[in-house]
Amino acid sequence: MLFVIYNLWFLFMNEMIYEKVSVITAYDKNKGTVFPKKIRWQGRDYIITKLAYYHRIRQGQALYHIFHVTDGNIDFRLKLDSYTLHWVLEEVSDGSAD
Amino acid sequence: MDLQINKNNPTIMHVDLNSCFATVEQQANPHLRGKPIVIAAYTTPNGCIVAPSIEAKKYGIKVGMTVREARLLYKDVIVRDPDPHLVRDVHIKFVKIFKDYSPFVYPKSIDEVVVEFKDTSAFRRGLVNIGFDIKKRLRKEVGEWISCNIGIATNRFLAKLASSLHKPDGLDVITYENILDVYSSVSLIDLNGINTRYEARLNSNGIFNPLQFLKAGEFFLRKNVFKSIVGHYWYLKLRGFEIDDVEIKRKSFGQDFAIGKKTSDPVELARILMKLCEKMGRRLRKSGSEAFGIHLGIVYEDWTYWHKSKKFNRAMYTTDDLFIKAMWIFNMRKKEKKVSKISVSCFELIPAKTSQINLFDIEDKRRKVSDALDQINDRYGEYVITPALMMDMKNLVLDRIAFGNVDKN
Repeated sequence: MLFVIYNLWFLFMNEMIYEKVSVITAYDKNKGTVFPKKIRWQGRDYIITKLAYYHRIRQGQALYHIFHVTDGNIDFRLKLDSYTLHWVLEEVSDGSAD
Repeated sequence: MDLQINKNNPTIMHVDLNSCFATVEQQANPHLRGKPIVIAAYTTPNGCIVAPSIEAKKYGIKVGMTVREARLLYKDVIVRDPDPHLVRDVHIKFVKIFKDYSPFVYPKSIDEVVVEFKDTSAFRRGLVNIGFDIKKRLRKEVGEWISCNIGIATNRFLAKLASSLHKPDGLDVITYENILDVYSSVSLIDLNGINTRYEARLNSNGIFNPLQFLKAGEFFLRKNVFKSIVGHYWYLKLRGFEIDDVEIKRKSFGQDFAIGKKTSDPVELARILMKLCEKMGRRLRKSGSEAFGIHLGIVYEDWTYWHKSKKFNRAMYTTDDLFIKAMWIFNMRKKEKKVSKISVSCFELIPAKTSQINLFDIEDKRRKVSDALDQINDRYGEYVITPALMMDMKNLVLDRIAFGNVDKN
């Protein structure tokens, strides 16, 4: 029962999260790209299947890398601070109406 | 004798991203693809829709509607805030692609670009081939969900019209051979620059469709319809001659803010005005300008509008200068009414440091302090150092992308 409720929490959402998460990345030396392959958030692992969009934001001297990724069920917006190298999960969305 | 339709080869390409803000959001969030979504200035029921997705448009949802109205048309419409960083990044990538084909690239807004191919080596490949190539590159280099409309013609006006003929993802060419067919398939209001008032003016002169508009003589348009040189411009534009290739110089910088919780509290309004002046001042100084005039506009709760502008004999440069003058005008308002929107702009721009030198060098010191503060904010992020009035209001006036020309400052 608890398991069902835990999963239902994701059914209707577009949530701003702003939490630090653990991320496993893959670096491709030929393409010069970095791809977040796996996220651990709140004790659960999410295998990333697609990088939908990547862009950079500069705020003063700080440079942030923004990765819009999906595991096939949920879309994630991840922010990598290039100075601290911390990953922050900024937003999750499953594309349903609010 | 009447001027013939321009028979030159088309050299102008107008490219328009389809439902830009919404499509970009769908690109970044795969679960939004294929669904009716709208991007609204605010996600609250009264928030104004700035872009409906292609799917939302099928339900009759249009730009300018409120979120409440959109939900009446389709109750499960997905509403999202604009992401200015994301859209600007797409715009930069979008413009970069065109620069591979022509050095004459003119962004007209965040989602529209005009490219001129006259005297370029790419012209020999044919504009239609280049158009299809651009569509392919857009999908590959920006995102697979991004599509655009392309219009090709001899002038910007017809190129824009061509780009609106088959939405979404169309590519159309208007030449002297098909121009009559195109004009017979559209209405007056479909022509860029003709709104309902111009349409009424044309109607009152016996012009009810674009074909009649084309057949109207130059003298008739200039003397009877538009009663100005504008009639002559329309006469040329309709025939495919270029009159819009002028670079418009920036004449003002402005900011506005729609207040969520309407108030007449002077302290709260002064804080908002300070933030608007700071944002405006940053853009003014970044462009290397200073301003002689300031304009303030206020929309009250009852939708009445009050505004006033004033020119001064000393140029304003620092945020302080702008704020003091704005407050001076602000204090002339009707004080008892609650304010729902406030806007401020500065005008009469001149290059900074060309204004008359002040007898007392305190002015120069204030400018140097202002420049130093700007440098700190540039280096460590926006609003690291702010006037005390702006404390605790970092996210009150949000970053927005304006309609019209792209602000590079």
